[in-house]
Amino acid sequence: MNFTEHTKIRKEKFGTVVFDTLTEKIFITDQIGGQILQLIEQGKDLPEIVSTLGNSYEGDMKNIEKDVVEFTEQLKSSNIICESVQEQV
Amino acid sequence: MSIAVEDNNKLSRLTNPGPDEQLRAILEGSSFDDYNSPLFIAWQINSACNLGCLHCCEEAGHSMPDEMTKEQALDFCRQIAELNIPYMAISGGEPLLCPYIFDVCKFIRENNISLKIETNGEFIDEKVAGQLAELKLRSVQVSLDGATAAAHERLRVAGDWKKAIEACEHLVNYGVNTEIVFVPTKFNIHEIGDAIDMAYSMGAYGFYTGKTMRIGRAAKNWDILCPSEEEYEKFFDVLQKKTAAYEGKMKVYYYPYDVIEELKYRLEAPSASLLVVPNGKVKLIGPLPFICGDLKKESLSRIWENYKKAWQNPEVIEFTRKVIADPKLLAESNNWRELNSES
Repeated sequence: MNFTEHTKIRKEKFGTVVFDTLTEKIFITDQIGGQILQLIEQGKDLPEIVSTLGNSYEGDMKNIEKDVVEFTEQLKSSNIICESVQEQV
Repeated sequence: MSIAVEDNNKLSRLTNPGPDEQLRAILEGSSFDDYNSPLFIAWQINSACNLGCLHCCEEAGHSMPDEMTKEQALDFCRQIAELNIPYMAISGGEPLLCPYIFDVCKFIRENNISLKIETNGEFIDEKVAGQLAELKLRSVQVSLDGATAAAHERLRVAGDWKKAIEACEHLVNYGVNTEIVFVPTKFNIHEIGDAIDMAYSMGAYGFYTGKTMRIGRAAKNWDILCPSEEEYEKFFDVLQKKTAAYEGKMKVYYYPYDVIEELKYRLEAPSASLLVVPNGKVKLIGPLPFICGDLKKESLSRIWENYKKAWQNPEVIEFTRKVIADPKLLAESNNWRELNSES
């Protein structure tokens, strides 16, 4: 997974700001959402993200995975991330 | 902290009210006070312009005697990168008349900051389009105030409609995201539908418009420029239809509020952005005359703090309320007033 070409991420004290500068849409997510974005930025894939969060937070791994998948699907539908470099517009 | 579902505490979801609310979204769930630095910088890099548009917000034409030097401009860009500001737009004057425009753009892009250039297009030939393409810009925005040369050139005094069209064609050919900006006035408002169709046929990425801002030269020419309510009604009706017609093909974006409505909102909720004018002074917002900092004397970081305080300044609040009550005062927008950063 990669960020799309015009997406910028910035951490703030209230959470993480995701700025799609192409559509000029701004999204805000909380600390955990920000951590997932940071892991995506580091080039981690879905299982690695789930595993990292599982080690950081208490909770059932299946539920964590479900939440992460849901979140990344939302990122994809908002055109914030894409599967590969080729998909970047 | 748990992200498990036992107590229904799922991951916090992305929030965004939608494209029409983009500026408001900056403040969604937080105050602009909470931001470490601006999210957006609008930079009028120079004041020189080859045109004398009747509606120019900046009243551009000749260079200011005290414009930032190349070194000062690059130092400003370095600060933008250090503060991790994600997005900036460079306009003028006509930015392509700035002798160091490409040095600045290169620096900005090398630091992975999204960049939009706003131009009249008259200096974009095939070679310049190629240079702009190499920068991988977020977009180049070309002003096109008519579907015909007559309308465009009546408003954009000394302008050449054909050159603007050719600029768009060169940019599109080089794969640059090309956006068209159209400012409605009595002279051209009836051409909105044709202008949108033309933008699409040229391969533009987007088309931007909205009510004309009553600031700068537009304020001085307001009586001859301002469309009637009926004309605006038809204009927005066309826009609505064209937006639907081009959905998924070309972005048609229009901001439905006028500058007074914008000021009312901004008084309550300032945006996380700064407007920098050619001499390095930083304005609070385009329609107001207030200056909250000077890049030649202060750091960008310090100016951001000044900006936050300035919106609480009684002088700003009082004057803004006066402008809202009497929009003719918008003609003062370029008679800059320095605010004391300690107040």
